[in-house]
Order: sequence, then C-alpha cells, then structure tokens
Amino acid sequence: MTWRGKLLHVHIAPAASYEMEELAQAQLIAGQGIVGDRYYLGTGTYSARPDVREVTLIEAEVLDAIAQGEPRIPGFKAKLAPEDHRRNLTTRGVPLSHLVGKRFRVGETILRAARMNVPCKYIEELLGLPGLYEGLLNRSGLNCTIEVGGVIRPGDLILPIDE
Amino acid sequence: MASPRIIMKLTVTAARKEPGDVLVIDLKHPRKPVLPAFEAGSHVDVHLPEGKVRQYSLCGDPTELGRYTIAVKRENDGRGGSAWIHETIAVGSTLPVSAPRNHFALKPGEGPTLLLAGGIGITPILAMARALTRQAKPFELHYFTRSRALTPLLAAIGSDLPGGNVRIHFDDEPQTRQNIAALLANRSDDAQTYYCGPPGFMAVVGRAAQHWPKGTVHFETFQPPEFDGAPPEPFVIELAEGRVVEVSAETTALAALRAAGVPLMASCENGVCGTCECAMLAGQPIHRDAVLSKEARGHRFIPCVSRATGVLKLDL
Repeated sequence: MTWRGKLLHVHIAPAASYEMEELAQAQLIAGQGIVGDRYYLGTGTYSARPDVREVTLIEAEVLDAIAQGEPRIPGFKAKLAPEDHRRNLTTRGVPLSHLVGKRFRVGETILRAARMNVPCKYIEELLGLPGLYEGLLNRSGLNCTIEVGGVIRPGDLILPIDE
Repeated sequence: MASPRIIMKLTVTAARKEPGDVLVIDLKHPRKPVLPAFEAGSHVDVHLPEGKVRQYSLCGDPTELGRYTIAVKRENDGRGGSAWIHETIAVGSTLPVSAPRNHFALKPGEGPTLLLAGGIGITPILAMARALTRQAKPFELHYFTRSRALTPLLAAIGSDLPGGNVRIHFDDEPQTRQNIAALLANRSDDAQTYYCGPPGFMAVVGRAAQHWPKGTVHFETFQPPEFDGAPPEPFVIELAEGRVVEVSAETTALAALRAAGVPLMASCENGVCGTCECAMLAGQPIHRDAVLSKEARGHRFIPCVSRATGVLKLDL
C-alpha cells in the first residue's frame, strides 16, 4: 500500500532566531533551499558539520500527538503551532521517517530525504518550552535536498516516487 | 549560555520626538495581539543593519500586553545605532526586536523603593514606577536631568504616575536640585534602591549607596564600566572536555572560542547584554562586563569582553 499526503503550511525565517513567517507560495531552488529562508541565505543556526538542510519537514500528526500530551514527559505539555516548530513544511499523511534516501514529490518539485531531523535544545530555549527536545526526539521530521525546484503552495499533493 | 530569544519583526505604530533628542517608539506585532510578556526593568535587543544589535529598556506599562515602548536617545558620537534609528524609523517601519530579557528586576517585597534616574536612564526606571504605582507600593522617583527643555518623557511621567511620588531635578533650576548623597544617607528599613543613568551619575550614586546592605542596591549601566586600562594580555581557556584554547592579546575570548569551534551566542559583544555568559569552573578572571553581580563573578564569565590571567577553566 502506498501513501498520499498533503502540504499544509510553508514557513521560512530570514535568519536564526527570527520568528517563522507563513508563505502562501514558496520558490524552491534545486540544490539550495527556499528563497528567503535562513538556510537558503546562509544565516541559520546550525552545527558546523557539513549537512543537508535545504528544506525541513515535519508531520502535522506529530504536532497533534504533542497537543494531546504524548509522549508523557513530566512537566511537558505543549501546543506547538506550525509557526513554532521551525521546520519549513508541515505535512499530513506523509510517513516522513520512512523516506530517508528516497525521492518524493511536493507539488511540482522533487525532494530527496537526506536524513532524519534531530531536535536541538536551542528550540526548547527559544520557545521557552522545557521538555520539547524530548517531545520531538525520533519524530522531528526530515531534512531534504531539492532535486527539482519550483513553486509550492499549501494544499499541494505530496506523493512518493521511490517506493 | 544564556537562552536564545525569538526575534520578531515588529511594526512601528508610533514614533514621536521628545526633548533631549529622544525618539519614543511604540511597537506592535503585525499578526499577534499579544507580545511576549515583560517585567519592569526588562530590555529588548533591537537588530539593526549589518548585524548590529542594540539594547533598549522597555519604558511602557508591563500590563499592556500588545505593545512595547522604547525611547532612543540619539548619541551622535556613539556607534551609529541610535543615529540610524532616528534617521530611518517612522510609523509603519519594521524593526526586528527580540523577546525581552530582564537583568534589572524589581525585588518582591513591601518595603519602600527609591528609584533614581539620570537622563535617558529614566527608561527602565519609568517602567518600574508604573509597576509600583499599579501595585500601590510605596516608592519615590527622583529624575535628574540637565534642563527642563532637554528632558524626555516628562509628559508620560506627569500623566501616568502619582505626582506625590515623583521629584524632578534640573541642573539649571537650583530650587529643584537634590544632593544624591543626602538622599541615600539614611536608609529606612526594608528599602531598596534602583538606579540607571550615564557613567558620572552611576559613579555618584554608587558611592552614595556604599553603606547600604548587600542586595539592597540595584543598577543597570548602558556602557561597561571603564576598566583599569591595562593592555590585554594573552591567556588560556581550558574547556570542560580538557581541550585548550589560546586567547591572544589581539582577540577576545569569545572570538577565540568560536574559532575553536565552540558555538556561543552573542549579541552586544560589549559586555552589557549577557547573551554569551558562561559558567566558570576555575581560574583568575579579569571581569570587564557590566552584567554579572558581585556574587556571579565568582562562577560566571562574559567572554566577549572579559579576560583572565593564566588558565581559565570554563564549563563549555
């Protein structure tokens, strides 16, 4: 059985620590990132290791679970708005953690999942939400490269290429 | 490391010139009705072009949830930040502003509070006076300025604070003058003092309050205190993991740590904001910041300006 998902939100931030801003449409540049985003502009906060961060994605299902109190971490209860999680694309119906190494379509673009995203303490401190780091462990989404660029919009279909 | 803070692109909803070359700016969020909360004494980082960052105290009412107010004095021989703001910012402008941080908080308690402001140092003090007024706590505000015609925020003080709690002292109106030492000579039980102003004012109040008990005198400076003038000497930082980072006389500890791959946030790089603060495990520091309390100087370190003799062990 295959899957078929949807793009719910697109967010960018102009530089590290800046609030995320929602876009009605976004331009993805192959091999670079989302026009206007910190990783496209080279103004993000990230470790010095060479790595892929052209586009980051997270599942709306994870945000739903966190809002319902899962996982149960003492003292942690958070409702994470799509603009708070600091990933670029919020998806529904896409098994992100199954896609490492595979290509998939977002609207007219093609992304390749490079690695699982790893949460950082930085976001926990930035948002003042202790426990968020643990709450996102193993499910904080995907880091992708852009193989074919183009324009994407909320509502676009997300479809598998490599099954 | 001090926590990072979210940066918001706020909209300027009012910008008015006040006496003394001061621009009072109201800021609101373009999409959210409520801004991150602040307490009296808090400041925000204002992010200017070319990566410059300046700290400004919030002088509005902390119970106004949707608005920040800052007052920016134009410092023509400063580093260019205030001049840029005066020349560029108008109603409708966008200004990137961090969530607030407070190094100058009012202590809880019922005792009387003495608030002393010199010039533009009125900004955090005014927020404190607003909070104390709202809490119906006893306070006295003394505002020291050169001349009535050069004094910002007089209208706000007149309309928002109970007149009986406020005394304004103009250098050029002898009948309004107040001797600061006399003001601080007798401390009533439980009293706390808070003061902010230019370096000369800070020195006078600091001397006059020397006999007040530890923990009852609180201040905030806009510039780091003048240091001893000794030329910088090279020293060595040992990291918690054991690695050693050499700091030459020509560079800062912050720059040397970053070059060695230690990720450190920083903001003012001038020893006043506390962003790059880190824990110190051992060594002989030469503190040159204006953030750390006397107590904190035993175990904290501000690497953007402070140095050390010999080997300094940091918890990094």
